[in-house]
Amino acid sequence: MSETTYLVATDVGGTCTDTIIVASNGDIHIGKALSTPPDFETGVVNSIRSAVEMMGITLEQALENTTLFMHGSTVADNTLLTRAGARTGLIATEGFEDTLLVTRGAYGRWSGLTEDGIKNPVMTSRAEPLVATDAIAGVRERVDCDGDVVEALDLAGAEKAVRFLIEERQVEAVAVSFLWSFFNAAHERAVRDIIKRVSPQTYVTLSSDIAPVPGEYERTSTAVINAYAGAIAHDYLNALEGLLRTHGYRGQTMVMQGYGGLLPVKEAADRVVGMIECGPAAGVIGAKFLGDMMGDADIIAADMGGTTFKVGVIQNGEIEFAREPLVDRFHYVAPKIDVVSIGAGGGSIIQLDPKTHLPTVGPRSAGSRPGPVCYGLGGEEPTLTDVMLLIGYMDPGSFLRGSMELDRENARRVFDEKIARPLGVTVEEAAIGIYRVAAAQITDLIRKITVERGLDPREFVLHSFGGSCGMLASAFGAELQVRRIVIPYTASVNCAFGLVTADVRHEYSTTTTLPAEATPDEVNAIFAPLAEQARAQLLSEGFPKDRVSLTWSVDLRYRRQVHEVTTPVAAATPLDRAGLDRLIEDFEALYERKFGKGSAYREAGIEMTMFRLTASGMIERPNLPKQAEGGPDAGAARTGRRPVFSEKHGALVEADIYDFTRLEPGNRLAGPAVIHTPITTIAVQADQTARMDGYRNIILDLEG
Amino acid sequence: MDPMTFSIIRHRLFRIVDEAVITLKHVSGSAITNEGHDLMVSLYRADGSLLMGGVGFLHHLTSAAEACKSIIRRFEGRIREGDIYLLNDPYTAALHTSDIYLVAPIHHDGELVAWSACFVHVYDIGAMNPGGFSPQSPDIFTEGFSSPGIKIVDRGEMVDDVLDTMLNMVRSPEMVTLDLRSMIACNNVARERMQALIGKYGAETVDAAGSELIRQSEDLFRARLRELPDGEWQSRQYLDVDGETAVVRLTMTKTGDRLAFDFTGSSPQSRYAINCTRWASLGGLFAPLFPLLCYDITWNEGVIRPVEMIAPEGSIVNCTRPAPVSVATVAAIQSVNNAACATIGKMLAASDTYRAQATAVWHANHFAIFKFGRNQKGGEAIGILTETFAGAGGARSFADGVEIGGEIPNPISRMANVETVEANFPIRYLFRKRMIDSGGPGEWRGGTGGEMAITPHKAPDGGIHYVISGKGARHPMSDGLAGGLPGAPNRYLWIKPGESSGEASGEASGEASGEDGGDERIPGAANPVSWGVFPLMGEDALYVRWNGGGGFGDPLARDPDRVAEDVRKGLVSRTAAEDIYAVALGDTGAVDRSATERLRSGRLAARLEGEQVS
Repeated sequence: MSETTYLVATDVGGTCTDTIIVASNGDIHIGKALSTPPDFETGVVNSIRSAVEMMGITLEQALENTTLFMHGSTVADNTLLTRAGARTGLIATEGFEDTLLVTRGAYGRWSGLTEDGIKNPVMTSRAEPLVATDAIAGVRERVDCDGDVVEALDLAGAEKAVRFLIEERQVEAVAVSFLWSFFNAAHERAVRDIIKRVSPQTYVTLSSDIAPVPGEYERTSTAVINAYAGAIAHDYLNALEGLLRTHGYRGQTMVMQGYGGLLPVKEAADRVVGMIECGPAAGVIGAKFLGDMMGDADIIAADMGGTTFKVGVIQNGEIEFAREPLVDRFHYVAPKIDVVSIGAGGGSIIQLDPKTHLPTVGPRSAGSRPGPVCYGLGGEEPTLTDVMLLIGYMDPGSFLRGSMELDRENARRVFDEKIARPLGVTVEEAAIGIYRVAAAQITDLIRKITVERGLDPREFVLHSFGGSCGMLASAFGAELQVRRIVIPYTASVNCAFGLVTADVRHEYSTTTTLPAEATPDEVNAIFAPLAEQARAQLLSEGFPKDRVSLTWSVDLRYRRQVHEVTTPVAAATPLDRAGLDRLIEDFEALYERKFGKGSAYREAGIEMTMFRLTASGMIERPNLPKQAEGGPDAGAARTGRRPVFSEKHGALVEADIYDFTRLEPGNRLAGPAVIHTPITTIAVQADQTARMDGYRNIILDLEG
Repeated sequence: MDPMTFSIIRHRLFRIVDEAVITLKHVSGSAITNEGHDLMVSLYRADGSLLMGGVGFLHHLTSAAEACKSIIRRFEGRIREGDIYLLNDPYTAALHTSDIYLVAPIHHDGELVAWSACFVHVYDIGAMNPGGFSPQSPDIFTEGFSSPGIKIVDRGEMVDDVLDTMLNMVRSPEMVTLDLRSMIACNNVARERMQALIGKYGAETVDAAGSELIRQSEDLFRARLRELPDGEWQSRQYLDVDGETAVVRLTMTKTGDRLAFDFTGSSPQSRYAINCTRWASLGGLFAPLFPLLCYDITWNEGVIRPVEMIAPEGSIVNCTRPAPVSVATVAAIQSVNNAACATIGKMLAASDTYRAQATAVWHANHFAIFKFGRNQKGGEAIGILTETFAGAGGARSFADGVEIGGEIPNPISRMANVETVEANFPIRYLFRKRMIDSGGPGEWRGGTGGEMAITPHKAPDGGIHYVISGKGARHPMSDGLAGGLPGAPNRYLWIKPGESSGEASGEASGEASGEDGGDERIPGAANPVSWGVFPLMGEDALYVRWNGGGGFGDPLARDPDRVAEDVRKGLVSRTAAEDIYAVALGDTGAVDRSATERLRSGRLAARLEGEQVS
């Protein structure tokens, strides 16, 4: 018998570092440890160790038999949020040195603010830029909109600028961003050569490398972010690889990207901007994998932890990418799965507005310390978690496998004092009201992001991830009238799970404008070099032709309109006339679906503006065994009854309580009910039925 | 009403407006709507009073309410479910003809329960000059299509003859069609979502929440006014156009929980299209009032009730038909924005509690420049220079203004990338950057404005033309506060290479083109341009400089190290550092403390003696 091998995936989050180990026999092991900033690699190893402990082998035994290690990390986000990056300089086209600082006018002043923040402009400012304003140098050069050189690069001036930044301003990293460099990168490359000659150790990012797309502000900002965080991420990935090697791992490390694909560590280290928000992206990839397995192509993936509620959308098996990604308050341009978040989580603090006396939930969070009042760690501000306890969804005795006793009486006292009494209602009434406010806010958020994409939530299946989501999903899912709600078996380590379901993926693109009337040959000629580059790249990473898949897509728009729609090429490639016609038809259908009936402006003509190639190197999939489903009777898992909130009754009613670990595939139970899992709690509303499927996922069917 | 349900309904009303805005932007697809955010959507109660105003161009919130009310009066008894009405007559309720209102009744069980309204700046309205701003129009009759109220959707059916008649009068009718479609879709979304809300909570509950929301806003606003000191504050705005100067005078009086704005003393209406009508002035003063005084209060009828306005008939802020008004939104209305921002700022600065909310005037003067012509791809292109949305922030009591930071009445605008413009117009930028010494000096400096220059590039016709309604080149308009000085004025220069300065025929403005017209970066004769249609051909360049924000507090009180830092960053010149801030800098750029001390005490002594400070 061959030895068991493992796929290991570890996702570093803000609070916890999660691991999932999938054994070649299909067994799944889960590990969790606290994240350890700034030396995240320690937390990674702790997390793997916690999963291995359940397996009865040593860390070394596991890692020696690991075929692939997949990793998602917040190191990029963390470097930016804590402003811990390198001293960075910027070289720009003379006359346009202020592009980064000016942020396309007010855009950078209001981006990333809450709606309330936007309403009070007097209190708004831009974020402090990542480049000191005196570390920006202009160089004479100019390329035009066709890539033609209007003014040659002033080489002497460029060297002077480089020396000024490195010798006088003492920068450790330099971003170079010239106008129209994505059409003609010669000037940027010449400056890189000068930097490498003058100061070989300086970290350099060219805008034409990192973001070869039109729009100088976003391209410059991306280059600056990459230069700023590049060295730290590079060092971190090196340290992590070294540490894993000392524990016996000999394989490749694959790093998750914000677009949901993996990159070999060497490449990832040069494109740190790609690592931004890769954890949530992995979560959406995981949801897609589960959806594929369960035959669902339209999914709303919701994740609610301690501080934030995050949501991503999968439509017809396709994942939506962000149009204007933002990290902290900085714009960047890189393919990134769109995950929208609001400050609502279990730790969100509940307050009464001092003037209106209306209750608000979040965005302030009590975090894990002091945490909710019921944790008994000194928290004196009521949180959503306290509400969940007061409406019966959480059980004081069974929280985190009973490792922490929740203080219900204290939670009740504080909630009564700060919320219920000032509102003049009972504790239960106030808690129910807060629960409804939180559910309504989430409903509104999901409506907003589905409407933005021209989608109807009623056609979607809701996936509920994270420690707090299971208690609210049955309420907001019902209001959104989703088809059904799935609480996956891996809900508590969803981002890590997403890592093991991802492929190695490279994204290539070329910006150029072609009318819809172009010939298929013209389009094929644009894709041909991209495809060649992609195949060579994947081959060098060990993917032979039969494990490579190339997909094409094209950004199209109606002339004189601003909305561009990335349209997948459905026909066989290279394209023939019919295939290109199909692309145009698909674009028109997609446009109307996204932007509404009557939005298409055919009279103006259609043009193609960007050509994108996605190249995947397919890696082994976890083989999840499906158990046979047994009878529906869930009685053996019932542990008792207690009063819990039922939306239908508008009050707390006696309901059955179930233990997830004792449920068997095929079991069914009717709401109102509560299911406790080792990590979280699932509330089942009246008129809803919960069942466990062959993968131990819980599925809520909505009736009526 | 129970506070939880109220909370949920309030949030949902806000979201309905938000969803309608998304729809508007999606369907329209135009740059001015999507990038400039030159739009507005709001909800009104059955009687047309403002229920929930969205974030957009805020001077429309009250005039769209008047649009609803005037449709109610005009169509009484004939308003049916699924109708949509168009109104764009400035003498009825609109601001200018190119900002079209589409207002739609919302019914539940056959009963009229609410209204939705929206506007976009349509692609063209058929005025003398393309694009909507029509500097050459002498009267309202030449400012294009205008209607005091017309039904364009009848019970869900498009009234095609009406639509076709209107489209027959505009340039690029297909683009205008799209603008109208976007507003129809927007109203449809607002109606569907309102009906769903009423379906869930009941008409009575939603209506009660609406009353409560308005009552709450009124209570909160009146309470805030009571916290502020009583008094009378004044401000003046000098608006120059093509050599003439008009003045908007404002006296704001706060008594208890009431606020009165009196424009008595403002200039008579102008022969230029810089005038505005009465409803436009009301909108103009509410645009800064909402975010400055009601940043944490829902913007609705409750905020409007404690406010009254006096605007003399026949004046520039309450013109009488047929005075031209096509440039109003960036002329008299903007001056009203500025004047109200200044008086409100003075009142806030006089309050211990609300001093931090005070601001000097932001971006006081839009330069509406529409470029048009055949582009490098051979297509016709018309578009506004979006730098006009970029503006500059006024200084606050605790911080400098935001450099090129936008404006108050339209809080979420943005300007286009240089590459976007160069891809669509046959022009090339020579530079675009922050403008030195443009931020109003003060203890806290106003945000700098910007400067830019463009020249034809690969133009099939050798260049393009542009319509300019450029005002504000003579008088600074971004007023300072609490001793702060105003931001620098705008400037528009047509630079012709091969001619020496002063040779070319001067403008009627009589401004000396030599004074600061020349620019060593662009050799040639510099001629001020301000009003009308001009060519940009061959190697011509158009130089535009836009205003900085006003300063806050005495420039002599500015921390000398901040002045030195500004000089180092290129935001303030050494000359201004010495002349205005009285800060002496050594050769390295560091503050010479003793010399600065001497300069400042000398300057202060001179002030006390009443001498002219050089």
